[in-house]
Amino acid sequence: MNRTPGGHLRLAFFLGGVGLHRLTAYRLDFLLGSGAFLVRVGLQTLAVGVVFTHVPAIAGWSYPQVLFLLGCSLLPRGLDHLFTDQLWELSRKLIQRGEFYRYLIRPVNPLFSLLSERFFHPDGFGELAVGAVLVLWAGAELGLDPTALQWALVLPLIVCGALIHAAVKLFFASLSFWTVTSMPAMQTVTQVSEFAGYPLDLYHPSLRMLLTWVLPFAFTSYAPAVYLLHGSTGLIRWLPVVTGLSLLAALSLWRRGLSRYEMTGS
Amino acid sequence: MIVAEGLTKDFRIAERRPGLLGSLSTLLTREYRTVRAVDGISFRLRAGSKTAYIGANGAGKSTTIKMLTGIMTPSSGRCLVNGVEPYRQRRENARSIGVVFGQRSQLWWDLSVPDSFQILRRIYGIPDAVYERNLALYRELLDIDALGTTPVRQLSLGQRMRAEIAASLLHDPKVVFWDEPTIGLDMVLKEAVRTLVNRANAELGTTVLLTSHDLSDISAICDDALVVDGGRVVHEGTLHDLLRRADRRSVVFDHRGGPGAQDTVLRIETGLPGATAGLTNEGRIRVDYPADAFTSRHVLGFLLEHFELADCYAPEPDLETVLRQTYRGGVPAARDGGAV
Repeated sequence: MNRTPGGHLRLAFFLGGVGLHRLTAYRLDFLLGSGAFLVRVGLQTLAVGVVFTHVPAIAGWSYPQVLFLLGCSLLPRGLDHLFTDQLWELSRKLIQRGEFYRYLIRPVNPLFSLLSERFFHPDGFGELAVGAVLVLWAGAELGLDPTALQWALVLPLIVCGALIHAAVKLFFASLSFWTVTSMPAMQTVTQVSEFAGYPLDLYHPSLRMLLTWVLPFAFTSYAPAVYLLHGSTGLIRWLPVVTGLSLLAALSLWRRGLSRYEMTGS
Repeated sequence: MIVAEGLTKDFRIAERRPGLLGSLSTLLTREYRTVRAVDGISFRLRAGSKTAYIGANGAGKSTTIKMLTGIMTPSSGRCLVNGVEPYRQRRENARSIGVVFGQRSQLWWDLSVPDSFQILRRIYGIPDAVYERNLALYRELLDIDALGTTPVRQLSLGQRMRAEIAASLLHDPKVVFWDEPTIGLDMVLKEAVRTLVNRANAELGTTVLLTSHDLSDISAICDDALVVDGGRVVHEGTLHDLLRRADRRSVVFDHRGGPGAQDTVLRIETGLPGATAGLTNEGRIRVDYPADAFTSRHVLGFLLEHFELADCYAPEPDLETVLRQTYRGGVPAARDGGAV
């Protein structure tokens, strides 16, 4: 029944509904989550604004361009956030407390089973909304006039970016099959990902390399933004390959983790 | 239905040295020790059987169940459940089994029980008729409606266990694995849980594998017993045969006047070679004797002849006695009193 992709999809819709239902049940949590996020992005925007009152451009980037990039980085992050937040629980406690077993005794793909437990995490909506506002405002400010191809690629760019975020998270969360918890690694990687919200040209080449080819967050923000702003396709051509390889690495580690899983306790 | 062949599971455990220096040195050079939790066990349970999986703490019961349910992969050997290797075909296997780990929850932590059941209904594709029938049964026996719309995380242990039990049977599984399913349940609910599983077994032919510290669960549900000790199977057969395996019987008596306890014990042990005697907690004398050396008539005759008996009885070998004897490699239970 649910062995088919269609079955999983129907189940996803149902569980998505449950997730939304949960949102209304924990309204305060939702408001706090979104509110805190808005404050954070507001401060970020303000800080960037303060810098630009002193200089007209940084490494060739103007104020609206930087905000455009920031917006670009938030869209895939928000999309990813809506679906994969449960990976944090995996890295934090599911292995440690021996609770992970429950995903293995249901006739559903274990990864789907895990993620579906927290579909539509409220923070994701905030990131998507703010990202959209920033991109639209900055785009209008810059008088951006995308070509038909650029318009057509907007959605794939966001989806690939979200997949890269998801893959990196899955990779580091899967380490907990070996190390029991991998929360610190997850936190570090998330902090590194924040760097990708600003122009890569600001950074030392080694950090630029890291963000492009090791933890490929550049492909979730910088590469799409540069493409949409200037039409430069140097990096963006690698996006499909990078997305594919990231997913491959994450899923193989996840699968190896599953087969060595040891449920603790009685 | 359930087959295990040379099923083995090793765990690699990192040795930690005590103290700050110790933990620093573990950071650099880590030593591992291999612990064999399950040591090449083989057994075969037929479809529709109700088997108690019995063993002392650390005997490898839970580990075996985790392999049978597909949660963990064996280090070597293999097992089959409904003709499927559980850890290789997890989803295939999951469809036809129901699982309860009394110590852990498998329900959706922040959802209510009815919401969880709705999800399970879709996950397993449970037909409406089956779902309604089972729900009616849970209403009648487990008073499941009383759990209301409280999120699972706010339920008491007993309430949660009722939901766990129901969730494990909701999709009419062919096999149920219940590891300590009656934790936190009162007598009435225990009785209901037993009725529930016995009914599933009688009406649907559900195969049951159960572990429980509550021996009355075992007597009320199971016909068969699988006893493991030190990671190996020491008994595979009916519960009845397990009880008959008791190779030592006992007689308990009170006597008036006559010699003191020490002397009595000495006289019995010399008069009935092979028997052991000791003082019970109630201040009676308990005689344990090998079933193949004496009959109870023989022992009673001896006692009547030498002592002035005030009261005397020969208890049935019970599960607890037999298990205690099995776990300890046949040490007679009377020695426990420590009065010898």
